[in-house]
Amino acid sequence: MKAFQQNLQKLEAADTQVLGVSMDSPFANKAFADSIGVTFPLLSDWGGDTTRQYGVYVDKYKAARRINFLIGKDGTILEEQLDSAAIDPTKIVDACERKKLNR
Amino acid sequence: MKQKSFLTGLGGWLLVAALLSPLLSQQLRAENNPPAPMKLKVGDQAPDFKLQYFDGSNLKDVSLSQYRGKKNVVVAFYIFAFTGG
Repeated sequence: MKAFQQNLQKLEAADTQVLGVSMDSPFANKAFADSIGVTFPLLSDWGGDTTRQYGVYVDKYKAARRINFLIGKDGTILEEQLDSAAIDPTKIVDACERKKLNR
Repeated sequence: MKQKSFLTGLGGWLLVAALLSPLLSQQLRAENNPPAPMKLKVGDQAPDFKLQYFDGSNLKDVSLSQYRGKKNVVVAFYIFAFTGG
């Protein structure tokens, strides 16, 4: 989440909203956001319905996999980053900036 | 007599070990496996959702569909609050 925060200006300039999602409570997520200085919403998927719908629920951890989806304005998935590759959002930032140039 | 029971005991343990080793190696292999395939693929329609966050005083609703036609959206799933990354 910190890495997204560092790239937030670039992403916003490229017309992109960042949303974090986990299965924590909204209050735990707020405390987490404050402690690492994240200013975009960290959404609470309490119960995991959305996590399962996106196919990223891991039985073993009873939690989500670390996965980033870039979703275009038309609602289709443009990029996916999985697991350890999802910590560095450069690929998504680049994709957003490419899209902006092509527009 | 004593030696015989020792040998059958040893045989028993070897049998157990022989039975467990494929299970164990399977588990070790699973650790090195590439990530599980994704249910949603690039090009698929992202399912809509409506979730909440706490802004310090109120719970706020956020849906994916509210950005339709306006903004791209990064949906970043993470394991738990207070984990790295």
